Amino acid sequence: MALGRTMLGVLFALLVWEGLARVQPNSVLISGPTDILAYITGHSGLLFRAATETSMNAVLGFFWGNLAAVALACFVILVPKSEWVVSALALLVFCIPLIASGPILRVLFGPGAGPQIALAALAVYYTTFLALVVGLRAISQSWTDLMTVYGRGRLSTLFVVRFRASLPYLFVGLQIAAPAAFLGAMIGEFTGAERGLGVLTLRAMRGLQTDATWALAAISASLAMLGYACVGLLKSKLTPHAPTILLSTPRVGQKRALTTRILGIVFLSALVLVLWQGLMDLFNLNSFFAKRPADIWNFVSNTTNLNTLLTALGETLAYAIPGYLAGLVLGAGLAIALTLWPCVARATMPTAITLRAVPIITTAPLLVLAFGRGLTGTVVIVAVMVFFPTLVACLQGVRQTPMQIVDLFESYGASRLKLLRSAQIPAMLPALFASARMAVPAALLAVTTAEWLATGRGIGVLMALTASTSDYNMLWSCVVLLCLVAVTAYAGVSWCEKRVLRVYASEQVV
Amino acid sequence: MAGISCSSIRKSFDRTEALSELSIDFQSGRTTALVGPSGCGKSTILRMIAGLETPDTGQIAIGQETPKQVARRGGLAMAFQDASLLPWRTVRSNIALGAELARKPADRVDDLIDLVGLDGFADHRPAELSGGMRQRAAIARSLISEPEVLLLDEPFGAVDAITRRRLNRDLPPLWRELQTTTLLVTHSVEEAVLLSDRVIVLSPRPARILADIQVDIHRESTVSATTSPEFRAFATQVLAALEESE
Repeated sequence: MALGRTMLGVLFALLVWEGLARVQPNSVLISGPTDILAYITGHSGLLFRAATETSMNAVLGFFWGNLAAVALACFVILVPKSEWVVSALALLVFCIPLIASGPILRVLFGPGAGPQIALAALAVYYTTFLALVVGLRAISQSWTDLMTVYGRGRLSTLFVVRFRASLPYLFVGLQIAAPAAFLGAMIGEFTGAERGLGVLTLRAMRGLQTDATWALAAISASLAMLGYACVGLLKSKLTPHAPTILLSTPRVGQKRALTTRILGIVFLSALVLVLWQGLMDLFNLNSFFAKRPADIWNFVSNTTNLNTLLTALGETLAYAIPGYLAGLVLGAGLAIALTLWPCVARATMPTAITLRAVPIITTAPLLVLAFGRGLTGTVVIVAVMVFFPTLVACLQGVRQTPMQIVDLFESYGASRLKLLRSAQIPAMLPALFASARMAVPAALLAVTTAEWLATGRGIGVLMALTASTSDYNMLWSCVVLLCLVAVTAYAGVSWCEKRVLRVYASEQVV
Repeated sequence: MAGISCSSIRKSFDRTEALSELSIDFQSGRTTALVGPSGCGKSTILRMIAGLETPDTGQIAIGQETPKQVARRGGLAMAFQDASLLPWRTVRSNIALGAELARKPADRVDDLIDLVGLDGFADHRPAELSGGMRQRAAIARSLISEPEVLLLDEPFGAVDAITRRRLNRDLPPLWRELQTTTLLVTHSVEEAVLLSDRVIVLSPRPARILADIQVDIHRESTVSATTSPEFRAFATQVLAALEESE
């Protein structure tokens, strides 16, 4: 019954789509389903080879990225004192937009599949790491007590209790990781590979081949969703009681003094510089393209260079901030609206969860086609990237309202609006802030990718240009700057989050 | 076999003093019940003997060893207030875990399953059991490693009255046979008198010993013993000490 209705809906949507395409036969905007099918059948060999290449890279990246995540998470659990350093470094690397690390990996790895795989790994490790750390911790105190009573240490606890207990969480992470790995591989191909769907997409966009762009976007999104569905199937088979989504709640810990925190930041910065220099020297990388901290410092000390960088950054932020805010407001707003009609919310939830997983970047070329290469197109891409995760998290957050509180309001005959304002929106806030925090790197990734692909402005373009002119100082400076912006914004959102949650969800920020 | 000696132990949590300068010895191979008002520090004593907490000052020794040393060679077992079974393991495998962790053979699993009345449920998972059944599985888990020191922290709280009676009848012979030094924290005065050789009544926080009562009842008749005048006399003695604490 429900399936039949869904099928009818899909059929209807396809008909409308086809109709729209028929109305403007020469449009560079829309290709109808029949045009797309015709393109796919006409170029099946080429598309199949490209899809295989991209999928292989995604799978390899998925494997390595998740392996790294598991290793990091186990390390953090076994050596709890290392947690903040490991988490901070992991976050820092995660904050570098993939499109920024792409060109650097390209010069380090050369033209092969290395960068695509590395980017796919980078796209997945952090979310899996977060989910797994939560999972490995999600055991009751009495289980660790039990292990202690038998004189067993952290390692036994990890093997006997934590691994199995964390499985549902691991699968939540893996499921999000599947389409993300595909996204990483695609972005790797945008930054100058020789084969793959990303390469074809770039070519189709530059040649204004509408049918090809649509066909490639359809294939990419379908493959990413296929990965999501496969891991989802495995998840429901192995861990039927897995949580549907996980929020990355702020780290619970003691409130640290300002001086401790400043010392921490100084220590971390020093560590990053040492690691950066050390790794470059260790692998004896050519200083022509593998720039060291001192090179970058010298480069940005020059006012002209700094001005170029800051102007580009200004342009980028002018796209990113409105898109980010629009995505958040629309996501939270729709979640609130849906809360007022609970049956609609229940019906839209699965769709929203699925759409959240579509790597928006794979459809970015379409959005560029639809909304143009200017401000609107880019802002829409950023907003869409932020919108779905926010919507899902907020809907989930509203559900966290304790049933007794809802009953209490109802027993006083309070209106829906009153319930919403006094109970449901406060219950939603932790989820909203968690997704606002995680959306910072996502928004920067979206804006730089859109710039790289289309707009001709901003730091994404600067990177694209410098990658082809071999101005590696500029390229590295862009990466450093983007990373700084991402970390600062992330920290800023966390700061607001802690202040707000201290009032509305004090149990979460102990 | 080793007795347990706690000498002038002191423990505070934040600013509340749970124990101050408490000294108790527990004889080897005997069962001692700790009773006292809620929050008086009974569980803290148990947790310190289990090596889960360390006293701020003072010493705890099991024989010549520290609790951690005994724990490391599998000589300790504890049943907690909640069953704390691993949900992905079956009843049998949860019980066997006690032996696994203590690095001892798990050849008595089926006997213990019978003993705690879980026959027919060996291959069920905890989610399929009632609260009382889970608790019985946890008790079986604590017995399978044949520990020298057995710590029971209100383990019968969630068990229904009939089963509780059965466990009260069947368990003491078992730990007497194993010559286990058993400590039992309970709220039930009857249970304390019925199961133990000795009942210690503690005052509200910080815990002091209000009464230390040797229970000498002829053990073979324990089930019907609850109605005997002898039993009632001990129970009254414990109750009187508890009332005094208020």
